[in-house]
Amino acid sequence: MVFLSRIADLIDALASRHRLLPWLIAYLMLLPLPFIMSTFFNSYLIDLANRSCLFILLAVGLNIVKGFCGQVTVGHIGLYAIGAVTSAVLSLEPGGFGGALGFGLPVWVSIPIAVLVTAFAGLIVGLPSVRLEGAYLALATLGLGESVRIFIAVTPALGSSTGLMMIPAPSIGSFVFDSFTSYYYLVMTAALVGIYFSFSILRSATGRAFQAIREDTIAASVNGINVIKYKLLAFVLSAIYAGLAGALFAHMPPGYLHHNNFTVIEMVTLLLMVVLGGIGNVWGGVIGAIVVTIAYDQTKDLVVYFMDRPIVIQPLVFGLSMVLLVLFMPRGIGGWFEGVLRNRRFIKRSEEKLGGTARNS
Amino acid sequence: MALLETRNLSKSFGGLQAIDKVSLKVEPNTVHGLIGPNGSGKSTFFNLLTGVYQPDEGSQISFNGIDITSSPAHTIAELGLARTFQLLRLYGELSVLDNVMVGYHPHTKYGPLAPLINGAEVRRQDKAVREEMEELLEFIGLAEHAEIPAAELSGGQRRLLALGRAIAMRPKMLLLDEPGAGLSPVNVDNLMSTIMTLKKRYNLTIIVVEHILKVVMSTCDTISVLDHGQKISEGTPEFVKGDSAVVEAYLGREMADEDIRAAMDA
Ligand SMILES: Nc1ncnc2c1ncn2[C@@H]1O[C@H](COP(=O)(O)OP(=O)(O)OP(=O)(O)O)[C@@H](O)[C@H]1O
Ligand SMILES: [Mg+2]
Repeated sequence: MVFLSRIADLIDALASRHRLLPWLIAYLMLLPLPFIMSTFFNSYLIDLANRSCLFILLAVGLNIVKGFCGQVTVGHIGLYAIGAVTSAVLSLEPGGFGGALGFGLPVWVSIPIAVLVTAFAGLIVGLPSVRLEGAYLALATLGLGESVRIFIAVTPALGSSTGLMMIPAPSIGSFVFDSFTSYYYLVMTAALVGIYFSFSILRSATGRAFQAIREDTIAASVNGINVIKYKLLAFVLSAIYAGLAGALFAHMPPGYLHHNNFTVIEMVTLLLMVVLGGIGNVWGGVIGAIVVTIAYDQTKDLVVYFMDRPIVIQPLVFGLSMVLLVLFMPRGIGGWFEGVLRNRRFIKRSEEKLGGTARNS
Repeated sequence: MALLETRNLSKSFGGLQAIDKVSLKVEPNTVHGLIGPNGSGKSTFFNLLTGVYQPDEGSQISFNGIDITSSPAHTIAELGLARTFQLLRLYGELSVLDNVMVGYHPHTKYGPLAPLINGAEVRRQDKAVREEMEELLEFIGLAEHAEIPAAELSGGQRRLLALGRAIAMRPKMLLLDEPGAGLSPVNVDNLMSTIMTLKKRYNLTIIVVEHILKVVMSTCDTISVLDHGQKISEGTPEFVKGDSAVVEAYLGREMADEDIRAAMDA
C-alpha cells in the first residue's frame, strides 16, 4: 500500500512538470518489454502481451458505456467481431479461400473504415438503451452481439466455419508488422493512446454528462443534458474502441479469424475484466484486462475428468469468479485503490492543516 | 409580462387527477409560494414545468415568452429554468465540485467530441469553469468539501449542494421543492436567508414549495394553494391566510378558525 502511494506521488510529481510526462515515461518503459520477455522467458509471452493490449482496448472502451455512463451492454464482443471481420474482408485479396470476400484495400485504409463501420454498429446496439434499462437492455444487446457471431458463422463470404485466412499484415514502406514483437509496438501504442483518450473523455463535460446519467438520469436531464444523445454517444465511443481492437486483432499474426473468437464466453471474460478492475475505473480496467488475459491463457487447458470424460472447467471458473467478485468485491481493484488514494490525500491535507496551525501558534 | 405562465395545466395518472386545470402566473423577480396538503400535486406541478412529466392534452406552459408545453427537460433547462428535487437526486458518487460542474453543463461551449479533438481547449475552459464553481461552493459554504463524494455529505450539506447545483445552471427561474425539509428550524431560517441572498445576487425568480407555513408567509410575495390538484386560492400571504377555502383544505371544515390561525402562526 505504501509502495502504491509512493508511485502515485511520483506520478503526481511528474505530471506537475508536464502533463504528458508520465505517459511518455510509461511508453519508454514498455518499449523493451518484448526483448525482456524473449531473452528471459519465451516469446510466446509477447503474443500474450499483444492479446492483453487488445483486451485493454476492449475493456477501456466498455468502461465508457458501462462504467462512465452506466448502460448495461453485453453486445460488445459483437462489435469487436464487426471490426475484425470488416477490416479482414476489406484487406483480403479478391477470390480468396472458400469463397471469402476480398476487396484488396491497403490495411491502413481497411482499419479506419472498419472502425467507422463499428461505430455505426455501436449506434444501433445503443438504440435499445433509449427505452430499455438493466436486464432488458442486457438481453437486447446480447441478442444483437450474438446475432453478429451467428451471421459470421453461417456466411461463407465472411469465413463461416473455416474462418478467414491469410489476412495481410500492416506495413510501413518495406517494414512489415508480421511478428509478435513488431506487432507489439502497434497494439501497445494503440492501447496507451486509447487509455489516454478515455481519461480525456472522463475529465470533460462529456464525461461528467455520462456519469450524471449513470447516477441519476432524471436529474441529468433537468441539468440540461440531452440524455438520449449522450447515451448513444457513449455507445459509439465504446464501439470505436471495440472496432479498433477488432481490426488490430484481424491483422495480428497469424492473420487468422474464426467466429469462435467472439462467443458469449469471450463476452463474459471481458465483463470479468471490467468488474475485477472496478466498474468505472480506467486503470482498474487495464489491470483487469491484463490479469484476466493471463488467467484465461493459464486455465484454457484446465480439464477435470468426470467418469473418464474430460470436462473443460474454464467457463465454470470464470463464471464463478464473476459471481464471487460482484458479491465480495463489487468495486474491484480500482475501487480499492481509489480508497487508498483518497485516504492518502486526506492524511496529506490534515497534515498540512496541522502544520499550518502549528506555525500560526 | 409574466416570466412563467401555465394555462389549464393538467396531469392525470390513470384515474387520479394529480393536477387539474391549473392556471398560474409568476412575475419576474418575485418569490412565489406553492403550498398545499400532502399529495395535493405540488411536486407533480414542478415535474410538469421542467419536462420530467408530459402534460395532458389542452395544457399550456410558457416560460420567458416561449412555449415549453411539450419541450424535453434538457431544452427547458437550457432556457433557464432550474429546480431542486424533494428527494435531492444528487450525483452521489461524484465529488461535490463535479456535482455543480454538471449543473453548469448547459453553458459548456465545446462540443461533446472536443475531448478527442481539442484537449487543450477543453482543459482551458474547464479550468475557468472550475474556478467559477469553486467560488460558488465558497459562497454556499461547501468549499472545504469540494473533493468528497456528494453521498458522504451531511443532510444539511446535501440540501445546500442541491441548491448549488441548480444555481450553477445560471437560471432565470428557480423551483425549490421543500428546500428545508428535514432541517432544524434554525437551519431552515439560515437556508432561507441564503436563498434570498442568492436571489438578489443572481436576479432570480423563485417558486418555493414549503410545508413550514411561517417560512412561506415571511418570504413570499404571492402564494398559490393547491388541493387535490386544483388551485383553490391565490394572493398575498395576508389574503391566503384569511381565505376560508385554504383553511378548509388544510384542516377540514369542522375546525374552528382560531385554531387554524394559531397553527399557521406557529
Ligand atoms: N409518477 C406517478 N405515478 C402515479 N401517481 C403519481 C405519480 N407522481 C405523483 N403521483 C400522485 O399524484 C399525487 C400528487 O403527488 P405529488 O407528489 O405531486 O404531491 P405533493 O403535493 O408534492 O405532496 P408532498 O407534500 O407529500 O410532497 C399523489 O396522489 C401521487 O401519488
Ligand atoms: Mg412533493
